[in-house]
Amino acid sequence: MSERSEVPSLATDGLTKAFGGVVALDGATVEFRHGQVNALIGPNGSGKTTFFNCVTGMIRPDGGQVTYQGRDITGAAPHRIVRAGLGRTFQLCRVFPRMTALDNVLAAVRPVGLTGLLRGAHVRADLDRARGWLTRLGIEHLADVEARNMSWGQQKLLELAGVLMSDPETVLLDEPAGGVNPALLDRIGTLVRELNAEGRTFVIVEHNMDLVMSVSDHIVVFDRGRPIAEGPPSLIRSDERVLGAYLGV
Amino acid sequence: MPSGALLLQSIILGLLLGGLYALLAAGLTLYFGIMRVVMIAHSAFLILAAYLAWWSHSRLGVDPLLSMIVTVPLFFACGVLLQRVLLARLRAVTLTMMSVLLTFAIAVLIEGLLGYVFTGTQRRIQLGYGSASFGIFGARVAVVKLIAFGLAAVALLTLYLLMKKTTFGWALRATIQHRDAARLVGIETERVAGYGFGLGLATAAVGGTALALDTTIYPSLHWHWIGPLMAIIVVGGLGSVPGSAMAAMVLGMLQSLLQIPLGTTWAQTIFYLALFATLAFRPQGFFGGRLAQRF
Amino acid sequence: MPSASEPTTAPATTSPATAPPTGAGTTRRRTADRVVQVVAVVLLAAAVLAFPSLAPNPYILSAGVVVLNYAVLSTSWSFVGGFTGYISLGHGALAGLGGYGTALLVTKAGLPSFVALAVAALLVAALAVPIGFAALRVRGASFVIVSIALVLILLLVFQSWASLTGGSRGLVVPRPFPDLLRPEHHRVFYYLFAGLLALALLAWWMIDRSRFGLGLKAIREDEDKAEALGTPTFAYKLVVFVVSAAFTALGGGLYALWFGDLDPVFQFSILTGSYLVLMALLGGVRNLFGPLVGALVVGIGLEYFKVEFGDTQLHLVATGLLLALVVLFMPDGVLPAIGSLLGRMRPAQNSIREVTAAELRDQRVAAAGAPAAREPVDAVASTAGERAQSTEERA
Repeated sequence: MSERSEVPSLATDGLTKAFGGVVALDGATVEFRHGQVNALIGPNGSGKTTFFNCVTGMIRPDGGQVTYQGRDITGAAPHRIVRAGLGRTFQLCRVFPRMTALDNVLAAVRPVGLTGLLRGAHVRADLDRARGWLTRLGIEHLADVEARNMSWGQQKLLELAGVLMSDPETVLLDEPAGGVNPALLDRIGTLVRELNAEGRTFVIVEHNMDLVMSVSDHIVVFDRGRPIAEGPPSLIRSDERVLGAYLGV
Repeated sequence: MPSGALLLQSIILGLLLGGLYALLAAGLTLYFGIMRVVMIAHSAFLILAAYLAWWSHSRLGVDPLLSMIVTVPLFFACGVLLQRVLLARLRAVTLTMMSVLLTFAIAVLIEGLLGYVFTGTQRRIQLGYGSASFGIFGARVAVVKLIAFGLAAVALLTLYLLMKKTTFGWALRATIQHRDAARLVGIETERVAGYGFGLGLATAAVGGTALALDTTIYPSLHWHWIGPLMAIIVVGGLGSVPGSAMAAMVLGMLQSLLQIPLGTTWAQTIFYLALFATLAFRPQGFFGGRLAQRF
Repeated sequence: MPSASEPTTAPATTSPATAPPTGAGTTRRRTADRVVQVVAVVLLAAAVLAFPSLAPNPYILSAGVVVLNYAVLSTSWSFVGGFTGYISLGHGALAGLGGYGTALLVTKAGLPSFVALAVAALLVAALAVPIGFAALRVRGASFVIVSIALVLILLLVFQSWASLTGGSRGLVVPRPFPDLLRPEHHRVFYYLFAGLLALALLAWWMIDRSRFGLGLKAIREDEDKAEALGTPTFAYKLVVFVVSAAFTALGGGLYALWFGDLDPVFQFSILTGSYLVLMALLGGVRNLFGPLVGALVVGIGLEYFKVEFGDTQLHLVATGLLLALVVLFMPDGVLPAIGSLLGRMRPAQNSIREVTAAELRDQRVAAAGAPAAREPVDAVASTAGERAQSTEERA
């Protein structure tokens, strides 16, 4: 894993985005390494979610470049970016409310060609894989329950199961700890470490410092739309600029 | 090549028409801004107001302009009720789609009731000053058209001042821009949204009266208005009041000018061409408006 | 799929152990529901096929043709409106295009009637590509606006272009079977419409159970999320819109061949579109037979109003009221409403919410060590064949 860490997985160069007069991203140049758990932290409004949205194609950046594994993906359609291997969750978790958990996960299956499209949505191979992910996340017993009838924590796990079903090499998690209880938080942390050990790269936007410090290899700190510091958790913890950004000094 | 006088006349008529379009589009933009609702029934209410103006003139012998004393407050109340009683009931997830259907249903209902009560016969107000006109540089402009434009202009100006200078306007703009934030600073967004709808529908009352002055009306006429109005708000950028006013003036002018070589029917297609071109090449609209992309 | 995509826990062994709580009650219920469904479909098909022999006079038979035409159109509508949730008020225009296309290909190009019908449908499908391209790029509201604009612009064009379309004088379509007497003519077209309806339902069913269908439903639920899971949402919407347009055009073209006279005011009427929406919503857009049931109710209602009240505008009032009521109180349609009503009379768990509660209870039992007892039932539940049934939308 250590030699793979030298390959930049996801990188941006001078990414800018403004909404009206508000500058959300101000020339953000960041590099996340392959095979690591990266965290993206910063005070509210520092541009973390906008960064995610620009990287995943949900928003078109005003300027700058996004590259993934050396390929320029700036402004590509979100589904193409997913297909390139970059999956994401949403800040306020998003699932398909009137679909069963199973269908929620199956929706991430990528059909190939016309015959692939017209194949039954519930063929054995897909079902096994989907159930496998539900099992892995501990919500297999809810497979036939519609997502809107699940608890917040269950929905968060379901969303993650769907993203994993699309088999991303790099997973972008937008506030995975938001609104979940401590027990679940532990489970998510463990899961991230396990999946990382299996070869998946993570980029996590998070406010919960316990989670960030315990799971990440590399931390990037955002303030006012650009990175102001980066490094391993031990270094970030003692960085004065980070403290300044958070406290508004 | 059309004569200079004909061209001038078309330009003046285009301006007058554009003014009326701008007023009506302002109402539609208001609804969309407040609730992301595409209000199909707007033009049905417009025709309803026109019928009420015609009715008060032909049956009660009152000048159609005076009918506004009743229709404007009445429509305001209807708008508030429509928002508070009906639209607020719809589920937030499917609001945009279902509100279209609901207001569509209301439009059909109004058309049906108008047809039932007043029959499908074409109606027209015969005014003493109806045939009067005056000339400028050889172009002839009917007085009633000028009155209609005056009405639209005064109503638009009132709306503008209301939005920019009053506390209510401030609250309404805040609600449109960011509902949650508006609630946080103590604005009763539900109530404000209701009044906003009332205001929008009041523009239809004024517009309908203006329309009745020099147009032949019949129950299904509203379909001829809703198309151009929809085109205007999309071209102007959904949710942008200045954008829709601008689009209204430009498209009204184009329609009026195209009538010279193409005739009235084909000239109307300009609205739909503009609509398709906007959506295909610039979905956010031509005059600003940031919402369109997402709706 | 690379092996990295496989979850580390072997699914084959774990799913039987964890599935029991969901399997037990629902499987039996599903089988029962399936039987009820099959019986209902057979009865419905028999009733539809027997209708011409039971119809007392040619008028009733022709009314049957009209209702079947509505059923074809509203089923075609629900390819877009049902799967993706994009509500089109302009499908009447696509039917009108199919009708005029067929008529013009017969009269001007001299094609045989049914060849003209097929060609017209293909042409409308091709035209649906640029229309869809403009209308589907932006979300919901703009789509509705474009769909309305489509009707209005085509009405303008077809009324004004009298040299080609006959304008408001109308366009006479030669009959495909000139030798048939009127009742026979109705009977033949009745079965043609029934065949087309079966075709549309079959296509709907195939999409519904497919991966493509799942993607479309994901778009209906949350379009951004579907896109973020790798679904090319725009392409999906466009394809299903084109399919819908083709079926709608076939329905409109067949109507032209049957009725034999086209008038722009009726072919490009915004009301036709609203009837289709009303039918589909009333019946329930998530259900295969929803639009068909809606068409039966609304179609018969419309015919009744025509007979009772003639030229008054009361049918508009009724349409508007009914549509408003459905939107306000029954947005999921009458079939699901009846379904949950029936379910409530059943002793077993009925609504989805209650199933959940029961499952959560079961889950707790399972955690306490009970799962072994349920294993046999579960083995049935986890076979692929049984699972496929859960594709059935059961709101």
